[in-house]
Amino acid sequence: MLGGFAVGKTSLVRQFVESIYSDKYHTTVGVKIDKKLVQANGQEVNLLLWDIQGEDGVQKLRTSYLRGAAGYLLVIDGTRRSTLDTACAIQQSAQELLGLVPFIVVINKTDLVDEWDLDESAVAGLVQSGWTVYRTSAKTGQDVEEAFLTLAEKMTEA
Amino acid sequence: MLTQRRKGAKESRTKLKSNPSSPDVIEQDGLNELRRLLVGPEQQEIEVLRERLDQQESLLPEDISRVLPEAVTLRTRRDKKVTEALLPTVEEAIDISVRKNPQTLIDALFPVMGPAIRKAIAEALSGMTQAMNKSLEHSLSPQGLKWRVEAWRTGRSFAEVVMLHTLLYRVEQVFLIHKETGLLLQHVVAGDASVQDADMVSGMLTAIQDFVHDSFSVEEGGALDTLQVGGLSVWIERGPRAVLAAVIRGNAPQELRAFLQQTLEQIHAEFARELENFEGDAAPFEPSREDLEACLQSQYEQGSKEKTKKRVTPVRVVAALLLVIVLVLGFFYVRSRWRWGNYLTRLQSEPGIVITNAERRWFGYSIAGLRDPMAADPQALLGEASLDPAKVESHWEPYHSLTPRFVLQRAQALLNPPPTVTFRVENNTLYATGSANHQWITETRRLVRVIPGLDRFDESSLVDTNLQAALNVKSRIEHRVVRFVLDTTGLAPGQGSELEALNADIRELKRLAPAAGKSIRVEVIGHTDQLGSEETNLPLSRERAEVVRARLAALLGDEVELTASGAGAASPVREERSEEDKEANRSVTVRVTLTDS
Repeated sequence: MLGGFAVGKTSLVRQFVESIYSDKYHTTVGVKIDKKLVQANGQEVNLLLWDIQGEDGVQKLRTSYLRGAAGYLLVIDGTRRSTLDTACAIQQSAQELLGLVPFIVVINKTDLVDEWDLDESAVAGLVQSGWTVYRTSAKTGQDVEEAFLTLAEKMTEA
Repeated sequence: MLTQRRKGAKESRTKLKSNPSSPDVIEQDGLNELRRLLVGPEQQEIEVLRERLDQQESLLPEDISRVLPEAVTLRTRRDKKVTEALLPTVEEAIDISVRKNPQTLIDALFPVMGPAIRKAIAEALSGMTQAMNKSLEHSLSPQGLKWRVEAWRTGRSFAEVVMLHTLLYRVEQVFLIHKETGLLLQHVVAGDASVQDADMVSGMLTAIQDFVHDSFSVEEGGALDTLQVGGLSVWIERGPRAVLAAVIRGNAPQELRAFLQQTLEQIHAEFARELENFEGDAAPFEPSREDLEACLQSQYEQGSKEKTKKRVTPVRVVAALLLVIVLVLGFFYVRSRWRWGNYLTRLQSEPGIVITNAERRWFGYSIAGLRDPMAADPQALLGEASLDPAKVESHWEPYHSLTPRFVLQRAQALLNPPPTVTFRVENNTLYATGSANHQWITETRRLVRVIPGLDRFDESSLVDTNLQAALNVKSRIEHRVVRFVLDTTGLAPGQGSELEALNADIRELKRLAPAAGKSIRVEVIGHTDQLGSEETNLPLSRERAEVVRARLAALLGDEVELTASGAGAASPVREERSEEDKEANRSVTVRVTLTDS
């Protein structure tokens, strides 16, 4: 799980799986790990989700956590445009480090329609550059599972 | 092969060169033609070979590649030229290789380096163990002695036995983790140990290592190798492609770490290809279970026995506490007993104290007996014996001890002797020495009999001062002589003053005598010289005595009883040898009798 600060990565993971790890560790280490067994392309896939602490702005990403990742979710907060730029920056460093591994862009917080700060053209730009984009709400659960499953499928194909 | 072919070529060349010298020239052309037809192609080949042989550089790589291994082997057998020639190249190659991708070299060296380093460490440790042996040699605690006996019995070194007893541990879980992805490859658990989701634990362990590595500026190659949480520790061993993490309860010895390293190296060797090509499927690592299980049980059996033996249970804690309490109470009991015994001994040795009953009670003591009021105070002695007076119930009956010391003290107190008198007590007798007045002596004679422990008063060395004074005057009186004129009852001239002196002395004696408990009787005795007959002398002496008695009676009045008698010449004042003696014998003397009044 990659993305800016407070975009809802942890909430997405929570929505997706039931965690056995407490939040206490999250604040200490900066990473929280969850697991979920899913079906993708007719085979069982054990997803180990590294929920990495959000990085604000374009400051350096904790790259060591990325090492060995088979894919990632890039999370954007639909109510804060700045998180889109952060996501783009993160995507760039992740690609440098991991090479071409599958990833999904998730624009979160669709439940907060009133505060929406992302214009459609920007989203269209992302789709045009070949990125898979999901609009989700960790609160309502909208499209959360779909996003994770799509990533799982992409990873098994890769 | 190539060498042989080259030899063949040389031979054919010499043949070709010798041929044109043949005399048969016509035949020669035909022959040449025939030769060209027959061996033309070979000749061409020979030409090519010749050219190549003329220029050594033109040797083809293929040729060298065919002979290179053999050539190097041959040359190496002969001398070290090849090694010397290759050295800079190899060094540079390694250098470049390390710069480019150190992983390759690490992979290659890992199985070699591990054992070598382990061996070096083991040697260092054995040196340390010996030092430890020495330092422990003098420890003579009961436990130490027990361990020493065990070491002697089992033939192990003492330090080893100590380690066995002090290091109690159990490896509860072992994780084999893919280093790059942090994914779990294999996981084994010891018996009943409680387990969390191994996949996530594996991920967390990897994340923690990353976190530590990122957060603290550790040197290259440095990494987290131990996590400690209470009695639980996680030992992490790192290989080039995989990580081994062991969850250990208790104190594991360093040998275990060596064993983990060894296991990891073994896994690297066994699964080198699988590790390199790992893409998320852990199934190929199933056979590594056996290796990991060896880690679980390696030194667990020895430890577990000790563990159950030494486990701290509430019962043990209570038992230990009870033991401490019993020891403390025992100490106080023994101490108080000892003090009490001392106290009783002390009292028994004290004169004037008789113990009739002494006993210890639950929370104190009771003592009863007899005590002379003059004896030492038992309450004061309690303090000296460090006993709390409040805890001792004493009951003392007063009595009189007949110990001479107390008898003497009692006599002193009761008789109140003047400072001129000293007492001594022996065989129930009070001996008094010195001088005292008559009244005190009389009193003492009476009182001695009522003092316990005394039944006699010895005053042989005691002077009655009053009696002494009376006797002195008495003696003075009896030495006085009132002289008379020859053959008459008339006083010799000047004898009036002698009469006066007699009068004064008698008055003094009369005064002193009552204080000495005496009354006096004064006897005036007349004397004559030896001239004349008895018949005349006796009456004369009686008349003379009567004269003096009358004179004294006139002076003294009737307070003093005076008698007069004549002794004639029978008891002269002096032995009569001269006229002077005769004069002295014509006289009157006075005798005083003191009688108890």
